[in-house]
This record gives sequence, C-alpha cells and structure tokens, in this order.
Amino acid sequence: MFDLTREIMQTLRNNRLRTALTGVSVAWGIFMLIILLGMSRGVYNSFNSGFMAQASNSMQVWGGRTDRPYHGYKEGRTITMHGSDADAIMNEGNIHVRSALPVIYGSTVTISTPRDYMSAYYEGIYPEYLKTQGHSITYGRNINEADIREGRKVIVMAERNVNQLFESAEEAVGQYVTINKLSFRVIGVYKSEWGQNVYIPYSTARMLNGFSEDINAMVVEVQDMKTIQQGEQVETVVRETLAREHEFSPDDKAAVWIWNRFTNHMKMSDGLGILDMAIWIIGIFTMLSGVIGVSNIMFVSVRERTHEIGIRRAIGAGPRSVLTQIIMESVFITGLFGYIGVVFGIAVTEILNIMFADAEFIKDPTVTVAIALQVTLVLIAAGSLAGLFPALKALKVKPVEALRTE
Amino acid sequence: MIRLHDVNKTYPGSVPLHVLKDINLTIEKGELVSIMGASGSGKSTLLNILGILDNYDTGDYYLNNVLIKNLSENKAAELRNRLIGFVFQSFNLISYKNAVENVALPLFYQGVSRKRRNRLAMEQLDRMGLADRAHHLPGELSGGQKQRVAIARSLITDPSVILADEPTGALDSHTSKEVMQIFRELNVNKGMTIVIVTHDPVVGGQTNRIIRITDGRITDHV
Repeated sequence: MFDLTREIMQTLRNNRLRTALTGVSVAWGIFMLIILLGMSRGVYNSFNSGFMAQASNSMQVWGGRTDRPYHGYKEGRTITMHGSDADAIMNEGNIHVRSALPVIYGSTVTISTPRDYMSAYYEGIYPEYLKTQGHSITYGRNINEADIREGRKVIVMAERNVNQLFESAEEAVGQYVTINKLSFRVIGVYKSEWGQNVYIPYSTARMLNGFSEDINAMVVEVQDMKTIQQGEQVETVVRETLAREHEFSPDDKAAVWIWNRFTNHMKMSDGLGILDMAIWIIGIFTMLSGVIGVSNIMFVSVRERTHEIGIRRAIGAGPRSVLTQIIMESVFITGLFGYIGVVFGIAVTEILNIMFADAEFIKDPTVTVAIALQVTLVLIAAGSLAGLFPALKALKVKPVEALRTE
Repeated sequence: MIRLHDVNKTYPGSVPLHVLKDINLTIEKGELVSIMGASGSGKSTLLNILGILDNYDTGDYYLNNVLIKNLSENKAAELRNRLIGFVFQSFNLISYKNAVENVALPLFYQGVSRKRRNRLAMEQLDRMGLADRAHHLPGELSGGQKQRVAIARSLITDPSVILADEPTGALDSHTSKEVMQIFRELNVNKGMTIVIVTHDPVVGGQTNRIIRITDGRITDHV
C-alpha cells in the first residue's frame, strides 16, 4: 500500500501543473458543495430553533363570520365561541387532541406601580397556554390550577414590561401592580421573542367580563402527530364540533378561523427538505464537473503513458495492478483536492457563522461531521469512477502495441 | 526450455497476413541463440510470442514445460514477470525513475519489500558496473549505460530466459561489443538461456546458434 502510494506520488509529481489544475476544479466543486450545505443547514437550524417549531403542537381558533346561509340562519352571522366549546371538543375523544384551552382577550388596560405605569393588553388563560405561545417563565411561576379554581388576582408579565415597572425582573415577583383599581400580585415573569401581553387566570378574566360565556380564542393542543393528514383531520374535528355547537355549515371556512400550526410546520419542514435536496443536487453536479475534469485528465494521462504502461506490463504488471494504480491515482487526486475543498469550505462556513451571528433567518451555518463523512465517501466513489474508464481504456491496448507507441 | 510445435500466426485484416508458418523450434537450457531475418520476416512476432506478449493461432508453445496458450492477462503477466527478462532496442526504461527504481520495478509486481528490492537492484547494477550511476535518471545515462540498466532489470527476477529484441540496434559498434560481451558472460558464467533477435550479422556471429527466418518460416539452423 505504501509502495503504491509512492508510485502514485511519483507519477503525479511528474505532471505537477496538470495535477494541480485538475485538482483546483475538484476542490472548487467540493468547496461550493460545503458552502451550500452549510447555508442550508443554517436555514434549517434557524427554522427548527425558532418559536414556530416549538409551538408547532397546537392550533389556534378564532370566531369568524359565516359566508353561507345554514339551517335558516342568514349568511354574515358572527360566530362567538363559548367556554363550553372547549369541553365539546374534548368530548369528541380524538386521540390527537391533548387539550382545548379557551382564551379571553381583555381590553387595553393601564398597569401601574408606584414607580411607573404602562398600558398593556391582558389575556385570561389556562396554564398550558403560555407554552403554546412559545413563552417560557424565567422568574417566579406560571399560572396554576389553584389560581384558576379560586379566581386569584395574579398576573404573569413579560420581562421587558417588568423592567419598566420594577427595579428588576427578579424583584418584581411577589410585588403588586394596579389594573383598573384592582390589585394584582406578580407571580411570574416570562421571556418571549415577540410577545408582551400580560396573563391572568381564565376565571379571573371571566369575573372582569361579568361572567360572560363568550371567549375570543381557543388553543387546541395536539399530540402524537406525524403527518399533515393527521393535522388536517384534527382541524376537521374542531371545525365540525364548533359547527354543531353554533349551527353553521361544516364546510364554512369563514365561520371560524383555524391557524393550524402543526400542518404549517410540516409543510415548511417539507419545503426545507426539498431545499436541502436541491442543494445536494446542485452541489453534486458542481462536483461532478470537477470529477469529469479528473476523468478527462486521466484519459490524457493514460494516453500519454501508453508506452510506460506497456513497459510495466511487459515486466509483469497484471491488468489488475494497472487498473488499481490508475484508479488509485484518480482517487488520490480527487480525495486530496476534495479534502482541501472541504477544509476551505468549513473555514468559510465558520466565518459565515460569525458574520450571520445576529441574523434571524440563518443560524449556525456549519456542516456536521456526518456531512463531512458523506462528502468524503462521495469523493472516493467519484474518484474511482473518474479513474475507472480511463483505466479500462488503458487495458484495452495490448502490451505489444503499447510498447510500439512512442 | 523452449519448445514450439507447428506454431502459426496470422494478423487479421482485409488482407490477412500470415506472419508465422508452422514454426518448429527447440531451444535448450543454457543456449545463446540469435534469431535473424530481414525486417518483416516475422522475427519480432516470434519473439513476442516467446515473451508471452502476443498470442498465436495454432500449435503449441511450451516454456519450462508449461503450455503457454490462452492464458488470462493476469496469468501471462505473472509468467512474464517470473520466467522472462526483456531487453529492448529502445531500452524501455521509465523516464522519471532512476536506475535503481527501474531495475527494481519487476520486483514491485512480485510484492517484494522496497528495501529488499532496492538492495537486489543495487547488486545487479554493481555487477553491471553501474553502482555509481544508480541514482541517475535514464536521461542522464549514455546508450550503453541505459542498455546495461535494462539488462540488470531483466536479470533481477532471476528469469529462465532472456529475450533481447535488437539489443544493440541503438548503440554504436563499440558499446554493441560491450553489451554482447555481457550477454556472453551471462551465458557462459551463469548458464543463462538467451535469445537475441537481430538483423546484424556481427551480433548473430557472437551467438552459438543462428536461427534464420524468412517470410515466416525457419529456413536455416546453424
């Protein structure tokens, strides 16, 4: 093996310029492949770490306006959901429905502390709701069942609001704020990329509403779902249940608005999968042009060395060893320069990583070890393929004829 | 050592060329033989068949009592490597390998370790009086030196027979004599079987037996 490497090195050194030129095209192809894969990784990572991915196990429902007459009702009727609709959906017993959470949207209110005041928008919620919005509690605690049961006047606020009303987010927990002359105790602070509503228990919000049955939105949590079809199936269950409760046509898409985050997520995942595949294809074809270059060069090289190969065969080189040597040369060129391309490509993706550190659409645009391995395997395969045909051509020339050529 | 029985060879084509006609030939171990003939007489084809570089159509060829017929390329390569040493008119050294590497190359195909084959190659070069030229490339050697390197290469596998195709064809008369002297010494001192193809009567005259070939037939045994 070591001997063979020496033989290869010697022949390659003999054709330095040609080897280098071919190598550059291979290195370039691989370099582009790595960059493209890195970028696609970046988009993929950004997508998967974003709020959309975390909150993908839910769908959000709002009341709408009917667009067709049904059971004697005219079209254009406003549908307002009720708290009992959540129970009705749960009673359907669909295995993919984990929970149905009614939400009451309050009005804009002024929240004040001795230090400062601000206006905000409150929502009356159930504990699981925060998670479905992609919010996470950083200080204190979430609203719990006891808060709901007893209709406690407690409140969960966004970090950025708290910093205005109190010394610090940490200190805010346990303090009181005043909303509409009512005193609410701050029990938790949440962090969110975009939200800044304040949250109070659902039952408390109902009290503020004069115990109305009406709700403004509902979040249906889903579970154990794998396919878009399952997502659509749950959506249908929700729509049909509400249609029955509120007497609108189940085909009426305007009566209730459903934002199916699960299917959205699935569709985007599929889209990203296609992007990934497209990039592989583009990359592989870029690389292919490099590999064809290697093949071409090997053809030229084999032709130039017909006489040498003739000598080698006369003194005892079997077809197998000639084949091995030419293919190994090809794998060597492809592998060596491909590797240079990989190294440069990875270096550039690392630089991009730093440059795009603050960009939202791209996150960690680097390639993994697995991808580097895949690329290496592809390189070896491509190299042997590039060498195979020239090698077979070399073997077609009989030793006698090969010796005769000069 | 070498036995040919009714060997025929035709090159196909629009006008098929019958180059070897019923060749019967026996060369014993330890002989120094020359095959002489005009160009186109078929002597090179005969040498190629003897060297398992080319195949023949009918008849039998035994080398070392092994029937050489319809061999696979791999088998033929192995037999060439072990049984035959080639010396060519144009030396056929690999230009980017130095003398030692050229001489050692046949052993590479036997899987001999680099250290061992370079040592053996040095020994052969030393015998040819070329030890000081061992690390020179062929381009830096004179014609006579190149041919001596080629002879060293042909000897390194300790073959049964040396086949030389116009070994002095590219050399001046003085170096030709030197090269023939080497062949004679190998024959006398080591009992090496040597077959030389030539059209030069002077070269032929220095061998122990001349086989003349005319129009694909052996016409004369001297």
